Amino acid sequence: MARHAVGAVVAEDAAGAGAKMMDRFGIGWRPELAAGILCNLHDIDVVEVIADDYFSAPRNKVRALRTLSGQVPVVLHGVSLGLASAVPVDMPRLDRLARLVEITKAESWSEHLAFVRGGGYEIGHLASPPRTEATIEGAAKNLAAARQIVGALPAVENIASLIDPPGSRYDEPGWISEILSLSGTELLLDLHNVYTNAVNFGFDPLDFLARIPWNRVTTIHIAGGEWIKSDSSSETPRMLDDHLHDVPVSVYDLLRAAGTRALHPLTVILERDGLYPPIRELIAQLQLARTALAEGRAFQACHRGVA
Amino acid sequence: MNPFDLLGPQFLLFYLILGGGVILMLGLLRRARESSDTLKVNLTDPYLIAYLRGGKNEVLRLGTVSLIDRGLLVVKGSRLRSDWQQATDIITNPIEKALLQKFLSEDEATSIYKDSALEAACQPYLATLTRQGLLPDEATRTTRMTRFIIGGAILFFVAFTKIMIALARGRHNILFLVFLTLLAIVVAYKVSNPFRTLKGSQLLADLRTLFGALKDRASGISPGGATGELALLAAVFGMAALPTSVFPHAKALYPKAAASGSSSWGSSCGSSCGSSCGSSCGGGGCGGGCGGCGS
Repeated sequence: MARHAVGAVVAEDAAGAGAKMMDRFGIGWRPELAAGILCNLHDIDVVEVIADDYFSAPRNKVRALRTLSGQVPVVLHGVSLGLASAVPVDMPRLDRLARLVEITKAESWSEHLAFVRGGGYEIGHLASPPRTEATIEGAAKNLAAARQIVGALPAVENIASLIDPPGSRYDEPGWISEILSLSGTELLLDLHNVYTNAVNFGFDPLDFLARIPWNRVTTIHIAGGEWIKSDSSSETPRMLDDHLHDVPVSVYDLLRAAGTRALHPLTVILERDGLYPPIRELIAQLQLARTALAEGRAFQACHRGVA
Repeated sequence: MNPFDLLGPQFLLFYLILGGGVILMLGLLRRARESSDTLKVNLTDPYLIAYLRGGKNEVLRLGTVSLIDRGLLVVKGSRLRSDWQQATDIITNPIEKALLQKFLSEDEATSIYKDSALEAACQPYLATLTRQGLLPDEATRTTRMTRFIIGGAILFFVAFTKIMIALARGRHNILFLVFLTLLAIVVAYKVSNPFRTLKGSQLLADLRTLFGALKDRASGISPGGATGELALLAAVFGMAALPTSVFPHAKALYPKAAASGSSSWGSSCGSSCGSSCGSSCGGGGCGGGCGGCGS
């Protein structure tokens, strides 16, 4: 109880520091959450829409999305471009995305640092490519093409993986930093993906955070997952980033750490893809995120003051 | 070729085409004038959406649904009663407050349609929607009426001339033409003067798309547990969208609205046309949400 009381005071002070930074907190738009989101716009600063859901959507659905963007800032999030690949990005998809950005007046867009197809086959999920010079160059070329077609670079997101990509010559933060440096784009930092990879591959997530260029981080994803285990009893359990569970405490701790490092405003998006709880529980998770980031900000401000 | 020399069936076909053309033109002119960019609307207020969908009667029905769901109104067959007098002091939403005051003495649920105090409580919604261009303002109604009069006059005079010529030639088989003329004028009126502007209709269609999933899982809404969702469901899709497991009183209280999937035109004609004509309420916001929304 005492710890909660102290935490509340810190959060209160921290909220003041955070408010000055104008951080924004939002949620992933899912039709199942529509009513809850629109009923709680006073607690939601931005919504993130999965762009791919609208690539082949009828006109009325796209127009509804434009109406949504009139009510609350909308950012688009792609899942199927497969930017981190030596294979050139699919131009028709980029074209559809460009049109969607224009129609919806989306603030910005983002994609994953993943590959999703190869040799003419669609994998059907986000896969981690080998972290090599070839994929760094391929990603930079694909990002340049995306900028040409869409008119703006996407923020790129680190992904979670159940296997360490074979043939890699870089570790993840090094590989991401190289792509950011070569392409000039920004990072959408998924903290649950960092946490998932950290527990699956045994590294310290705080080391990961220490090695990425924070001046390029504009957006943060938070989400939840679960431990899974294969039938083989000898295998150690692995964390799966399924977006079906509440945000774990470790992710809030990472968000607090993010607050100590980022010097500019951040947009924090809560992702939930199923097993939807009542909207008030998601709003409560957003509130925890506000508090965590604000506490990190306050810590940073305090230490800067001392220095 | 003089169309007035056409024989009966040929003239009817000509008139059908003429009527279709006039009606199409009225519709296109309205579209051109009333369409515009997206706008910011207070979507956290289901009453605003309900008014846009069907006018005053929809708002009042939604108000009773929300109050019943929260246990503030008690249902007795087709009648309603407010048992808790202090609730009128606690509730801040003007619609809900007015409804609670009305039902301090038990009355038929449908009596809300004729209550002047309730109608006055709805006026700010009319003013807000009109100001935002979602419902027609005085200038738009005048333009619509002018266009309808011109279109209607064309339809009337063409038919009238033909009837006069037919009668002068000793023919009396004019009944079809009279019927077709009346039909064309009625349709022309409806096309010229819908309840909402095009912008309002588009917004409502967009809301139906955005809330489509809510309708799909309507039966999963807990009665009394998520009034915000229940209110939004009724506001966007109407009483007919409320499953009996969630709101079992719809048929008993409002049999017409519960039976109709889209009661917007019927109810708006009965409610808002009368109240909106000449209204110049300059009211500000329309008060809070539907009680539970946002809580």
